[in-house]
This record gives sequence, structure tokens and C-alpha cells, in this order.
Amino acid sequence: MSERLIVIGGGGAGTAASTTAKRANPDLHVAVFSEFPDIAYSPCGIPYAHGREIPEFENLFLSTVQRYVEEGLDMRMETTVTDVDLARRTVTARNKHEGFDKLLLCTGFLWEQPPVPGANLEGLHYVKDIRRAMEFDKEIDSMKRAVVIGGMWLGVEMSGALARRGLGVDFIDEGPWLLSELVDPDVAEPAQEALEKLGVNVRMGTKLLGFEGSDGRVRAVSTSAGELECDVAVICLHKLPNTSLASSIGLELGTTGAIVVDDHMRTSAPGVWGAGDVVEVPHGLSMLPISGLTGSHAYAQGRVAGANAAGEDRVYDPVWIPWGFMAGDYTIGGFSIGETLAEAMGIPYVVAKGVGVSRARYFPGAARTHVKLLAEPGSLRLIGAQLHGGEGIKERCDFLAFVAKRGATLEDLAWMENIYSPPIGALYEPIQIAAQNGLAEQAVRRPEQVPA
Amino acid sequence: MRAGELKHRLRARSEYALRASAMEEVARRYPGRSTKSELPRVGVFWRYVFVPLFHRVPWSFRRKAMRALKMTAQNWREDARRFGEPWRPPVQAHAIRSPHGDGRPPEAGNAAR
Repeated sequence: MSERLIVIGGGGAGTAASTTAKRANPDLHVAVFSEFPDIAYSPCGIPYAHGREIPEFENLFLSTVQRYVEEGLDMRMETTVTDVDLARRTVTARNKHEGFDKLLLCTGFLWEQPPVPGANLEGLHYVKDIRRAMEFDKEIDSMKRAVVIGGMWLGVEMSGALARRGLGVDFIDEGPWLLSELVDPDVAEPAQEALEKLGVNVRMGTKLLGFEGSDGRVRAVSTSAGELECDVAVICLHKLPNTSLASSIGLELGTTGAIVVDDHMRTSAPGVWGAGDVVEVPHGLSMLPISGLTGSHAYAQGRVAGANAAGEDRVYDPVWIPWGFMAGDYTIGGFSIGETLAEAMGIPYVVAKGVGVSRARYFPGAARTHVKLLAEPGSLRLIGAQLHGGEGIKERCDFLAFVAKRGATLEDLAWMENIYSPPIGALYEPIQIAAQNGLAEQAVRRPEQVPA
Repeated sequence: MRAGELKHRLRARSEYALRASAMEEVARRYPGRSTKSELPRVGVFWRYVFVPLFHRVPWSFRRKAMRALKMTAQNWREDARRFGEPWRPPVQAHAIRSPHGDGRPPEAGNAAR
């Protein structure tokens, strides 16, 4: 009888883990248990389908359950695992026991729910399951007003999407500036302006007090700025690791509340791996564990965990977290830390800022690209960045995260090679400009410490 | 309360206090680009004792202390170069440590280390 691997969870991590495991070891019996009916769709695309930038929700489905069955996976859809017995090596689902030799937990996250009165009313929407999103999408045309709650990037994306659909949107957050947990005020400002340009009423420094309803359905959101009428309240607070199964079997949980794994994605129990939003991994700069990263991180972790569960030997590196998203028609992004987080952690840094253009300045469509680099004093090693502008932000953030991981300095970036081709790149690369400015400033401030 | 849960709560509270203090500092640096925060207030101990003490300790020492207290990730290979070291060329990604140098099978749990 072949070895049996059970993967719990059919999101990005679970899908990647199960397919990788099967490809790495075709003799392995791989069963995937998911509480949802669908697999291999893009939840990150949901706001853009609501905003009609993606014409059809069906476009978000990248594959079918049947295709995974044809690849040799044992797909158990709409099947919730209610119990795991590590001693007997069984899981329980639909009151039946299923044996395993190896287990891979990809149970994802749950949305933080606001601890205020009325949080159980109908009409409070959380963005996660695509079927629920498709139902919600049908209701949007009959709605007039929405309140989006929470300062994480999904809230920004959902605000823009609902405004594009013609709803009056109030975006509320307690923080002093947009996305204050993630970005610095100078980067938040143009993002907020872009949302306002779409008609979103951005109300920063506004506290959620409760939800008011009639006939069991939300009709207004009570805030420190007064009552905001709405047909729906979209809640985009923090992602919390869904560790109920992990806790029940005594897996070690870390300081973020997520499952502790090592660099092979092994948990504290032999023969049990974890991947995705339910685990914590170290930040490359501080080695402090963090959790609730992006879909690409979940997918990459799933591939490593799946390969190792199938008998391979793959290592997952500490993360430098390149990130980016759209605020209305504007792009913001970065990697690692910005000024606010560096201040919070007490990490010493110097700032290098510059503004360039995304194409030759005479070429139609050229957009200003703002770059802020954070570097370690003395060595001037890159430790973080935040960017905003038009095209090319994503690629620059990916690049910066990669070179930071390999130890690049402002000196390296100031003299980097770059593509000059009028439709796609200017003579002076914006990253290069920021690094040059940073070196010049350091030369004025501390001439003896700048590399020759 | 279990030790793990206590660590989780301590981290959440300390991070919150540090972030709130940093937001005030950074807001002063960018005048006119922020509004009055309505985030829950930080407790007296965290605001007036913990945050100032935390910032008095140099980062290099704090980093060592965090490692000693096992607050940083265990059983992970660090990147090519540690914070504070002079620049040197990157090393090959997986050449630093063989994860199987101890002869354990790949499916062994990390608690076995």
C-alpha cells in the first residue's frame, strides 16, 4: 500500500502542496480536504471582479476539481475535517475516519471580527469565499451606499471597486493616515487622493462604534464621526491564523499565534507540515516570526512543504515581503519595512528618496515614480523601501526585495545598470536616482562613512 | 494561561505600543499628512515605561537579547549576511547548512532538533 498524505485546506498553500507532492512522488496517495466546493481560483482578484475590471467572476477560476482528480489527487470537496488523531494517524470528516502517514495543514486564516454591537447583523460582508462573493456581486447593483471598515489593503481595493460600481463609499479607519500599519504618510497621501478621485469618502481617525440594523439587517454604521447610512458594511480587518485544528493536536504555536514551522515547513509534530496563512515564518531582517502574508508566499510555502512531505529536501528562506496593490488608479508598493515600522522596532536607518519617470519623459504615458529607500547607517545596506506611482512599481519592489536579501547597498543601486528604451524605461532609473540622492546626502552628513 | 499564549499576548501588546509611538513620531515628520488617531490608547506602563526603555537599548543588543529569549525564529537559516555586518558578496543560497547533517529523515518534526 502506498504512503498516504492528507492535505487539509484547498487554498493557495493546499493546492500548491498537494500538486507538488504528487508530482514529486507519484506513488504517494494525496488526499485534499476542503470545506469549500471550488479549488484553484484567485481570491485576490475578487475586488477587481466587483469593480468590473475583470469582466466575469468565472475568469478567476484557474482550474477545476476534475483536473486535479485527473492528476491523481483524491479531492474531498465540501468536506470539513473536524478532528485529527495524531497517535492513531487519522482525521475525522463527515463522521468517518481516514488514515494518513503524513499530514499537511493549510487551514488558512479567519477574518478578525469587530468587537462592537451589531456585529451579527446581516449585510456585514467579509471577502473570502468566491461563491459568497458572486452572490454579493449580484446584490451590488441594488445597493446605494457601502461602508468599508479597516485599514488593510483589501479595504482599499474594495473601496475602489465599489466606487467603480457607482456606490457611495465611506472608508473608515481609526489610524492617523491610510494604511498606517503598513505605509508611511508620504506614501499614503497620494493613495488616499487616488481613492478620493474615484469618489470614496476616506475618513481616517474614525472609530467604529457599532452597527445599526432594522429587521436583522445592517442599515447604518455608528462611528466617532457620526452615523453612516449603508446597505452593506464590508469588513477588512486583520487576518488571524486558523489554528483550531493545530491547537487541538498540540502543535506548537508561536508569538504571532500561528503554527511554528522550521525552514522545511515542518511543525513540532513528526510527519506534520504546515504552510500558508496558518504558519509563521521569519522576517529576513529581524528574524522575528510573522504571519498572514500574501498569496504568493502561501503558494511558495505550499510547494516547499509538499515537496518535503513527498520525500524531497527543500528549504524555504526567511521573507523580505515585496508587496504592492492599487489604490484606485494609483499603485503603491514596497518591501520589508518603511520608516514607521523601523521607528517602531528601533532599527537605525537612513532614508534615500528620489523621483524618476517610468518611460522616457517625452514618451506618451510616462508616469512619475517615487522611490524611498531605507538603508542601514554605515554600511548603507538596503533594509526596506516604499514606492508609489504608475507602471513598474511591482517589478521594482520585487527587484528591491531580492537584492536586499542578497545584501545590496545604496552604493550598488546608485551604480546599477538599467534598461533605457523610451516606451518602457527612462535613461535614469528611479531607484538609481533615489540611491544617488541618498549617497549625496550621506556624503554631506557623514563624509567619512560613505564608501569611496 | 499557557506560556505560548502569554508570549503571543505580550508580543501583541508591545508591538501595538511601539507602533503607536512610532506613528506619532513619523506624523510629526510629515506635518499635514495625518489626522488625529482614534486607535485605542496605549496603557500607561507601555507608553511611559516600556517604549522609552525599549528605545534606549541599542538595536544590536536588543537583537541579541531577542535571540537569547528565543523570540526570533528557531531552526531557520539566516540570510547571507546579518544586520550590522560589513557588506560581503552573497553566498550560495543553500550552502550554509545542510538540514540533514544530523541524519534525521525529512519528515521528522522540528521539535526533534
